[in-house]
Parts: sequence; structure tokens; C-alpha cells
Amino acid sequence: MTSARTGNGARKGSESAPVVVYDKVRKLYGDFVALDGIDVQVHKGEVMCLIGPSGSGKSTLLRCTNALETLDGGRVLIDGVALPTDERDARKVRQKMGMVFQNFELFPHKSALDNVAIGPITVLGMSEDKARERAMTLLEKVGLAAKANNFPSGLSGGQQQRVAIARALAMEPEVMLFDEPTSALDPETIGEVLNVMKRLADEGMTMVVVTHEMTFARRVANWVVVFDHGKVVEQGPPEQIFEAPHAERTRDFLSHLGWNG
Amino acid sequence: MNLDWSVVWNHRDELLHGALLTVLLTVLTMLVAVPAGIVLALMRLSNSKALAAASHWFVEFFRNLPLILVVYWAFYVMPVLLHIEFSAFTTGLVALCLNVSAYNAETFRAGINSIRKGQMEAAVAIGMSRWQAMKQIIVPQAWRRVLPVLASTWVSLFKDTSLVSVIAVGELAHVALQIRSQSFRVLEMLTAMAVIYWLMGYPQAKLVDWIQKRFEVKE
Amino acid sequence: MDFDFSPLLESWQYLLGGLGITLLLSALTALASLVLGTALGLGRVYGPGWLRVPIVFYIDTQRAIPVLVVLVWFYFAVPILTGINFHPFWAALMALTLHIAAYVAEIVRAGIESIRPGQVRAALALGMSRAQIVRKVVLPQALVRMLPAFGSILSITIKDTAIATVIAVPELMKRAETLAGQSYRPIEIFSVVAVIYFIILFPGTRLIDALYKRVAHLGRS
Repeated sequence: MTSARTGNGARKGSESAPVVVYDKVRKLYGDFVALDGIDVQVHKGEVMCLIGPSGSGKSTLLRCTNALETLDGGRVLIDGVALPTDERDARKVRQKMGMVFQNFELFPHKSALDNVAIGPITVLGMSEDKARERAMTLLEKVGLAAKANNFPSGLSGGQQQRVAIARALAMEPEVMLFDEPTSALDPETIGEVLNVMKRLADEGMTMVVVTHEMTFARRVANWVVVFDHGKVVEQGPPEQIFEAPHAERTRDFLSHLGWNG
Repeated sequence: MNLDWSVVWNHRDELLHGALLTVLLTVLTMLVAVPAGIVLALMRLSNSKALAAASHWFVEFFRNLPLILVVYWAFYVMPVLLHIEFSAFTTGLVALCLNVSAYNAETFRAGINSIRKGQMEAAVAIGMSRWQAMKQIIVPQAWRRVLPVLASTWVSLFKDTSLVSVIAVGELAHVALQIRSQSFRVLEMLTAMAVIYWLMGYPQAKLVDWIQKRFEVKE
Repeated sequence: MDFDFSPLLESWQYLLGGLGITLLLSALTALASLVLGTALGLGRVYGPGWLRVPIVFYIDTQRAIPVLVVLVWFYFAVPILTGINFHPFWAALMALTLHIAAYVAEIVRAGIESIRPGQVRAALALGMSRAQIVRKVVLPQALVRMLPAFGSILSITIKDTAIATVIAVPELMKRAETLAGQSYRPIEIFSVVAVIYFIILFPGTRLIDALYKRVAHLGRS
């Protein structure tokens, strides 16, 4: 089991400046307060899992990270620089981050290979041949080289999600954002996706994962943040959250899930 | 009631010419109204409030007027407004284009909006601009949904060309009604007119049915 | 370019009368084609083969020929065939009704066919008869779904009444033409009449949309 702590007891990645800083982040939908002053830092190479009940704000925070949602208060800092509000500048920042969606959102009119290659071609201006080469390498990495010419309609959910991961990786991001990546999958295919995610983590990718898969969080995360009603209830290494939680609400949430450790 | 159907046969050349003009009007109108519809739809969906409002009002205006009124209006207004004498054909064509562009704009807008929000988000998340996302991801998917509606609009347009007969454009309806007036063969000519339209229109209607089945989108 | 709106001010009652005819013709046509079209639609979906075939042919024919042709044929040709002369208003009413009923029939058909077979099966399992199922389960849901389409039929009906001008029905369009011819002020007249048509047509669709939003959940299954 991985631990948040390195040999001398410090949090993983904390030797360098944090990659993402959420500073008193607030987000409103009309009168509804989705995020109520979030203070969290993501360190380089860290796997951070956001857990909590539905509607507690975890996905909203993730979508604020790559400017899919705007903020109503506070700041999000990427590599020390606040998220730009201008669309064109926001686009540059988005290239540094990869996002994987609950519904995969592959482009149905393109093959798996073209789905992965389209980012480098359109956004990075890469030549089609080079982009396809990179795409093929990534498909091999997620174990789907054989399905390169299949269209999304011919792929299972788990396969589509793995292609979606490859598509995000094709942009060579610094941070990977996962929004409930396995919630829409059949139980048999959840494993293949989590394995790919674990391998990414072992390779040192900085990851922020919104998930209900507690076993994954316990085993792979370096840091866990517990959300409830738009607030951070508790955050810490997985040993703390899952075995010796400080907050009452963390205990409630875990017991509701039937988590027995 | 003595009927003389030979009048139809005797004027077959004129009737054929009228039918061809009907087809020509339909084709030319669509050639203009499809691109125009796309432009209007994109204007409506753009971030510019001015463009969106302009497109919105254009579309609402022409969708809520009887086409026959637009034909008459164009006939009287265009020469005065633009200080050129247009042929009846051009005037009729302009009226048809204005009308059909407005309908196409709604068709394209609905088609684009029917694509799930997540597709735009996924495209934007890998760093595409909204414009790139529209061009590469949204519009190619929207075509499937748009095609059946365009086909149905085509058939409506084909029938609506009959309205430009009121400003003496020589399409099928005008030709048939002229022959009726000159020959006094009312029943024969009116029936022949209906039958010729039917012969052209029925296969088109069936084709539209086929297209709608073929491109049916099941979510 | 000088504009002179005085003919309009002098003859506003004349035009208003035309508007009245337009609205009356539209209302009667809409009602009649709703009734006829629903009957045709139901006959198309639930009727026996010998009824279905002619109905389909009729509907497809109306889809294939322009309103103008139907109007003109009705007003000029039917008297020759039957010896009865119709007043233009009634000729227009009949012609428009027969034409628009075909579109209503198609809407009814689409609405009924959009109800999932699971709904019918559930009702059968409860022991309902076919007739009861149609009346109590299928039609109520289908009617809600058809609402937006009916709204656009009303809009089309009003626009089509303007075509009745070619058979000299004294509705708004015809009166506009007459006035334009007498006063030599076509631009002013047709522009104002355009605004009038816009005012009666534009809110109609908005109203139907708003109404539909409030009852749409009743048709979802």
C-alpha cells in the first residue's frame, strides 16, 4: 500500500511548490452554494481522491480546475498563476490538464485512434502522422492497440473510458482530472480502468480523482479530501481518513457506504 | 360537362417548361438558403449579443409571415429600395430565399443544440477553441439530425414555389392557370396541374420518409 | 422615398374586416382539420387494412401538392363536377381543412407511435381492453406530446389563409391587395399588413411553448 508520507514523514511532493492551489474557492448556482470556501493544495506526483456524498461539490471543484466552471469567489492557482478568465488564455491552461469524464464523451464520429490524435492535431498543430504515432503508443499503453480502428459504438464502456484516458494523455498534461471515471461502468469493466489509473499513478502523474471507489482511494491515493455540503470536512492521508478519521461526518459517510476497513 | 383533355397534350411543352422552372426555383433557393441557414444559426449561437439578436429577429420575422405576403412585399419594395428593376423570377427567388433561410436557421440551431453538452466540454477540455469544437465535433454530428428536416423543408419549398405565380413567374402553377384562362378548359387544366405536381411531389415525399427512417437518431 | 400612410388611416375598418375574416377562417379551419385529422390519424394507426390504404394515399397526396392547387381546384373545378357553386369563404374552408387535416393525421400518428409498447403491455397486464388502453393510456400521453406540433399547425393555418386571396376570399391579404391597387401605396400597405400578421402569429408559438413546458411531464413515460 502506498503511503502519503515519504521516508522522513513529509507529504508526498511537498518538497516543491504545489501544482494546484484552491484558495477559498466559492461557487454558486443561483442561491445554491455548491462550494463554500475550499482550501486544498495538490502536490506534484500526488494522487488526490475527492470523496463524499453526491452533490457535495467534488465534481464542481474539479470542473473549476480547468475552467469549465467559473468561480464566484476565491482563486484557483495553477503552477502559482491564477486561472485566467479570458477564453483564449484559459485554453492554454487547459492544455496542461487532462480530463476524463464520467460519460467518457468520446467523439462518436471518429475512430479510437482519431479520438486520441485529434487533440495533438487540432490544438498542438502536430502533423497527422506524428499525432497518429503518438496515439498508437498511448493506445498500447492502455491495452487497446488492437481496437485502434474501432468506433466508440463498437467498444465496451471500459474500453471507451480507457480510450478517453489515452485521449487526455495525448496532450501530455501535468495534471490528470478524473470525474467519477468508473461510475457509469459495468462492474466487470471497472477493474480494467482502475488498473490503468494505478499504473499512471505509479509513473508519477499528478492526479485529482473524484470517485466512489473507496478501495481504490485507500490503496492508490496519497491524499484524501472528504466533502460534504460544499465544504471540506476533513483531509489527510488514506490511513487517517479510512482507519482513524477525525471528523464525525467522515465516519458517518464511510459507515453509510458499508466501509469496514 | 364535355371535357377535352387534348388541351393538356397540346400545351405539354409549356407545362414542361413550367415544371422545370419550379425545380430550378427549388434548387436555387436551397443553394442559397442552406449556407444562409448555417450562418444564421452560428450567429444565434455565438457569444456576440448583437449577432445573436440580429439572427433571432430575422428568423422570427420571416417564420411568422405568410410567404405570399413576402412575395408581394418583395415585388413592390425591392425596386424602390434598391433602385433596380428586378425580374419577377429574381424577386420570387429572393422572397423564397428569405423565407427558407429562416426555417433552415432554426433547423441547424436545433440540430447543434441537440448534441450533448458533454461533447463540447470534452473538446474544450483537451484545449480546443469553441470554434474548433463546433467545426470538428459538433457540426459533423449535427448533420445526421439536420438532414431529415432539410429534406422535409425541401418538399415544402417545392410546393411553395407555386406562390410566386402571383407575380407572374412562369413556373408550373402560373403556366397552368394561364392556359386555363386562355382555353377555358378549367377542369382539365386544374386537374392536370394537380396531377403534374403530384407526379413530382409524391416521390419526393416518399424519399423524405425514407431519409427520416434511415437517419433516425436513437439516443 | 416618401411614404403616405393616409390610405391606411382612411380604410382601417376595411382592413380590420379582412383581419376578422382571416381569424374566422383560421379558427374554423383549425377546428375542422383537427377533428378530421384526428379521425384520419386514428384510422391510420388502428384501422383495418382497407381503411388504412386509402387514408395513407390521401395523406401522401396532400403532402405532394401545394395548398394553392387545392384551393384553386376546389373553387373552380368542383362546381363543374358537382354543379354547386360555393362562396369563396366556404370553398377555402373546405379546401384548407382537407389539406391541413392530412398534416394533423401525421402528427397524431407520430404521437401515438411514440408511446412505448411497455405502456400498452402494462395496461394489458392490468386487464384493460384495447379500447380502454387507447382512450386512457395512449391518447392522453400522446396528446400532450403533440401539443407543440399542433401549435405549429395553427400557425401554418393562419399563414395559409393568406393564400385564399387567389380565390378572392375577402380576408386580410386580399383586402391589402385591393387597397394597394386603389391607393397606389403598396409599400405602406403591405408593410403594415406584414406587421399585423406578425403580431397575430408571433405570440401564438410562444404561448404554445409556454403551455407545453407546464404540461410536458404528463406525457413523459
